[in-house]
Amino acid sequence: MKTYWRSIEELANPKELRREEAREEAKNKSMLLKGDQEMNASSRRDFLKTFGFSIAAASIVAGCKRPVDKAIPYLVKPEEINPGTSSYYASSYFEGNEYGSVIVKVRDGRPIKIEGNTLSSISQGGTSARIQASVLNLYDDARFKSPSKNGKEISWEKADEELLALLATLQTQSGKVVLLSSTIISPSTREIIRKFAEKQTNTEWIQYDPVSASGILMANQKSFGTSFIPDYRFNKAKVVVSFGADFLGTWLSTVEYTKGYTAARQLQDSQKNMLRHYQFESGMTLSGSNADVRFPIKPSEEGAIVLALYNAIAQVKRGALVSGVKSSVDISDLAKDLLDNEKQSIVISGSNDENIQILVNGINQMLGNYGQTIGLENPLLTKQGIDQDMDRLLADLKAGNVKALLVWNANPVYDHPKGKEFAEAITKTSLSVSFSERPDETTVLCQYSLPETNYLESWNDLEPKSGIFSLAQPVISPIFNTRPPQEALLKWTGNVISYRDFIQNFWKENQFTKQKNSTDFIKFWDTSLQNGVFETVQESKMNFSANGVEQAASQIKSVSGGIEVALYESIAIGNGKYANNPWLQELPDAVAKISWDNFAAIPVAYAEENGLKNEDVIRVNGMELPVFVQPGQAKDTISVAIGYGREIAGKVGDHTGSNLYPFVVTENGARQYFVTSVNAEKVPDKVFELAISQTHYLMEGRPIVRETTLDDYLKNPASGNEKEAEDLSKAVTLYDEPVYNGHHWGMAVDLNSCTGCGNCAIACQAENNIQVIGKDQVRNRRIMHWIRIDRYYSENPENPKVSFQPVMCQHCGNAPCENVCPVAATSHSEEGLNQMAYNRCVGTKYCVNNCPYRVRRFNWFQYVKNDKFDFASNSDLGRMILNPDVTVRSRGVVEKCSMCVQRIQEKKQLAKLEGRVIAEGEIKTACSQSCPGNAIVFGDLANPESRISKLFKDQRNYHLLKELHTLPSVGYLTKVRNTNA
Amino acid sequence: MRKVILLRHLPIRLKTFISLLLLSILLISGNSLLAQSSDDEEVVLDNHSHEDIQRGERFFKGLLPKDRKFEACVSCHILSRPDTMNWNPSAMDIAVKYAGKDFADFQSAVMEPNGNRMEASHKDFKIEESDLKKVKLYLDELAITGPPIEGPVVNQIVLFLFLILLMVLVILDLIFFHKIKYRFISALILLVSLGYLVKMISEAAINLGRSQNYAPDQPIKFSHKVHAGANKIDCMYCHHTAEFNKSAGIPAMGLCMNCHMIVREGARSGKFEIAKVLEANETQKPVVWVRVHNLPDHVFFSHAQHVGIAKIDCQKCHGQVQEMDILKQSSDLSMGWCINCHRQTKVNFKDNKYYDTYMKLHDDLKSGKIDTIRAVDIGANDCMRCHY
Repeated sequence: MKTYWRSIEELANPKELRREEAREEAKNKSMLLKGDQEMNASSRRDFLKTFGFSIAAASIVAGCKRPVDKAIPYLVKPEEINPGTSSYYASSYFEGNEYGSVIVKVRDGRPIKIEGNTLSSISQGGTSARIQASVLNLYDDARFKSPSKNGKEISWEKADEELLALLATLQTQSGKVVLLSSTIISPSTREIIRKFAEKQTNTEWIQYDPVSASGILMANQKSFGTSFIPDYRFNKAKVVVSFGADFLGTWLSTVEYTKGYTAARQLQDSQKNMLRHYQFESGMTLSGSNADVRFPIKPSEEGAIVLALYNAIAQVKRGALVSGVKSSVDISDLAKDLLDNEKQSIVISGSNDENIQILVNGINQMLGNYGQTIGLENPLLTKQGIDQDMDRLLADLKAGNVKALLVWNANPVYDHPKGKEFAEAITKTSLSVSFSERPDETTVLCQYSLPETNYLESWNDLEPKSGIFSLAQPVISPIFNTRPPQEALLKWTGNVISYRDFIQNFWKENQFTKQKNSTDFIKFWDTSLQNGVFETVQESKMNFSANGVEQAASQIKSVSGGIEVALYESIAIGNGKYANNPWLQELPDAVAKISWDNFAAIPVAYAEENGLKNEDVIRVNGMELPVFVQPGQAKDTISVAIGYGREIAGKVGDHTGSNLYPFVVTENGARQYFVTSVNAEKVPDKVFELAISQTHYLMEGRPIVRETTLDDYLKNPASGNEKEAEDLSKAVTLYDEPVYNGHHWGMAVDLNSCTGCGNCAIACQAENNIQVIGKDQVRNRRIMHWIRIDRYYSENPENPKVSFQPVMCQHCGNAPCENVCPVAATSHSEEGLNQMAYNRCVGTKYCVNNCPYRVRRFNWFQYVKNDKFDFASNSDLGRMILNPDVTVRSRGVVEKCSMCVQRIQEKKQLAKLEGRVIAEGEIKTACSQSCPGNAIVFGDLANPESRISKLFKDQRNYHLLKELHTLPSVGYLTKVRNTNA
Repeated sequence: MRKVILLRHLPIRLKTFISLLLLSILLISGNSLLAQSSDDEEVVLDNHSHEDIQRGERFFKGLLPKDRKFEACVSCHILSRPDTMNWNPSAMDIAVKYAGKDFADFQSAVMEPNGNRMEASHKDFKIEESDLKKVKLYLDELAITGPPIEGPVVNQIVLFLFLILLMVLVILDLIFFHKIKYRFISALILLVSLGYLVKMISEAAINLGRSQNYAPDQPIKFSHKVHAGANKIDCMYCHHTAEFNKSAGIPAMGLCMNCHMIVREGARSGKFEIAKVLEANETQKPVVWVRVHNLPDHVFFSHAQHVGIAKIDCQKCHGQVQEMDILKQSSDLSMGWCINCHRQTKVNFKDNKYYDTYMKLHDDLKSGKIDTIRAVDIGANDCMRCHY
């Protein structure tokens, strides 16, 4: 069997690591015992303590008169709202350049859960971890509670009055009024801004994205005459080549790409072919860890390799080569693979260098991908910021040409490389207004703060792709005294109309005319609102021109020497806008499995040469960063995530990690997210503790992850899974197998479709009231997530193969945890669930110790209403997120995955009420519902026709540790890699 | 020489014992001890002496005037909480209602009765204006201080402490005094007292968090006996979400108005109580009811499952609601009570298509292997049916 390992330490000396872990454990235990020993020497003081405690306890118990609960009915009950029943509304999420069409679950007036909208061609029912966590931002105490001027509260009327007067005076003066916003994809808002600019004639509108797609936009301007981001259709591709674009994790429209990517790779339903994925990158990203072939390269090497690939293909297709620097990587196999799959491949680059993007365009054009796998009909609109505009703005600000600055959803002081200069320049304006929802580094410098409503509190319309529209509707009335900025702009232009009515009128004039299905506008509006989306078919008139390729090729720089730092967005924190979200902070990094910090990922060889190990500190260009030795990190590179190190974000986000945005360099008019020739040196004798959860669980040499290659799989579908048959032949038991009369709930996880993105962990957290425990407790191996994504490496540590495996409670038919519980708090249900009755649990933790899958979590502390754990659940506002269908666990009890039993119960009840059997796929667990890879299938194993029963019969299916005869209800399908034979 | 026993030499078990003993005392006495509140603050309203208020109280309670021919106010507008429904507005109700209003309003309400019920009872009511003013003063003060506090029930604590004392005496006698001749008498006393103590403690402990027969005062004297009993309104008319929803729901004020738009006076309650519904509707302030049936947070109960699917009568759990003037919790709502019912209740297996899922059980039914399916047979007593 292949050797799998979780960390470099384990690869080097597994036994030593085991010993180290045991030592650590013993240390922790001895710490606990120390306290006990003092207690044993009983003194009068102790007696008094016990005595006092008893009195207190007794009075509490005795005082436990039932509280008088009140019941307050509606005055007039709305027909659609029933207490205790959830309503679902379609809406749209667009923050930090990520778009998602969503369904919001509203319970008793509170939005508590987000699901993906299946009607949207972009979301396709999937979400990302950040979309899942976005509902928690609504209940963030850090949000502004009211409008203010220079830090003092002000009324909306007063603010409007003052600003109208100020804007009117500025109109008569020289100088500009600048509206600085993040990319705005709302057609009606764009119209409002246009109207505002019409009235305020000296207005300039600049769109700014902290992590921009400027390179692609400008390259397409040259190749097609329009700046746009094309529509990548991964589901149609056979070969995908990505140069540093983490399209499964953070690049552009990840949910859509993951849906397409996994659909093209899943070997279910007699699909026999598989997309092959090549990835060139420096750090180990999510896309890289899923790639079939991965090339670790330096960021500065990318241009040369793209150029080489261009030439290799041009040689066959055109015969004419372009000259430029030579590449050090042999890409002949790759070029051949691409040429074999013309019109069925995608080549992308995450670079912001327009020259590289022009070459990539050239490659795609030669391969005939445009119009096939790369659509031009519905270009992506989620990133429209052009980097040069920001440099111009900064110059204007410094020169005093900008009289007024209106900042909307942008935070350049934090996330622009020249943030400090912005901070100084903003004070030079005579008027500065921020529309930010929450305090940030830029807003605190502005005179007026006119906070906007959260996206769940406001109306909006969005156009994420040209011709693909969606609506957002409020699902709760504004919690604080906030207002959508659109209303402000409307008011300042003299329109007395609510933003909602404006959208409706706008849609009547525009979107309504684009369809023929409905002749009644109200009907059309209601349908669009109910569906959340309105999608039109467009035609493209764009023509490719190969001009500029030569020039682009000549601009490609050769590889520079020295160490390079590659900057990347982490999956959880992204560009840092929602750094104050504790769920996201605690979500372990997809590959490194580190939460609560960013870190310098260094290559294995570099660590050995410089005597560095995890949690050491290195100084990179003057900034001290904790070290993490990352297998697969390219030679001479260091990867660090941006989005950390916020100064003003809130109690959770402030000062977690370091801000790497100042490292971003502007080259060629665009911001490049890597730095060449950096100084890196070890800071001696300094340790920075990281919350690493990757070494918490161990495979112990057992075949937990099983994999094969596509060739082997086609020859023998059970390849890599031979042990299953062997286990089956040995499965003998003295005891009766459990009998399930009605249902037997089970789950199948296709390891081939799981990309390890972490969406399930956050979806589960939101659904099941899982508490955040903070960095120290994560370090103590107490992370509470009911579903964890294990990550294993295999083969060469310089460029390992990576396997992801989501592990949740396996709901064993013969569960080891059940036998050892002294109080019968965990038992087996008639429907195959391993049940956990929290109120019966006394916290012996026997079950935790006896579970071979390590999926049981113990509440070491009271995590709710406890100042020591000052996260979401420590305030009334934060607790509004809690799902009333799931018990909030208290200290001293064990908890674990329940397979979303509340959802099972809800749907069963519905079926009974309607007098029908439960439909296939009707019940979805939180993790399976929004999985962007469709990797998790939940269903009834007792029904032989169900999808899950079929997957369980698949020859790829296996059960974890089947040899223990635990009879798990969760099955895994072998991972298949499409490596070159 | 006897070794001096200090507390710290007591073994840890004894300490635990003492603690437990204290705990038990408090457990038994707790309800009564903590119910007391010390609100002895004297409130004297502007320009009025304490004496005026006292006189007002006497008028209200019928002690003055000496030659009165009408009934005392307090005989209808009672001060204490009754066991059965008292249809007349209580003294407190009136006090609160008129606390913010001036004397003229109060006087006209008393002297010019409104509605049949009130006309009949206030018919021969004669009182001097100055005296009525004092009554108003008394009521105003009552609105602030609240109704008189009823003394705690002490029987249980006294009995408990007495038994402990008895045991201590017997033990002391056994060790030191030897006054009781026959040891078996001491042993008997010890055993009996101990047994009774254990019974008291265990009963008190079991009843913790349970509230069978709980029947709190509601802000409106709403009688299920009148609505569901006499007028035969179907339960589902008001609690219409019970069939398809987790919660049976408390009817919205709008629903009350369906009838009370027209019905504005009750035969026994007069206008006072129904006026509260009308007022809530006018002022748009919903009535704040006191919740009677309240399961702990970790129990998930669904009315839809029991009423909509299993077609169980409301009365099975809620008792004869149609005979209750004051609604009380009739079952103890304990887990044992739930489980017993699940063991006995037959499932309507054949009519609901959902149960087609249970093919094996259907086969067994057909072949006569089993004759009925009870709720417990299809997992109704699984932990995760109610706890998740």
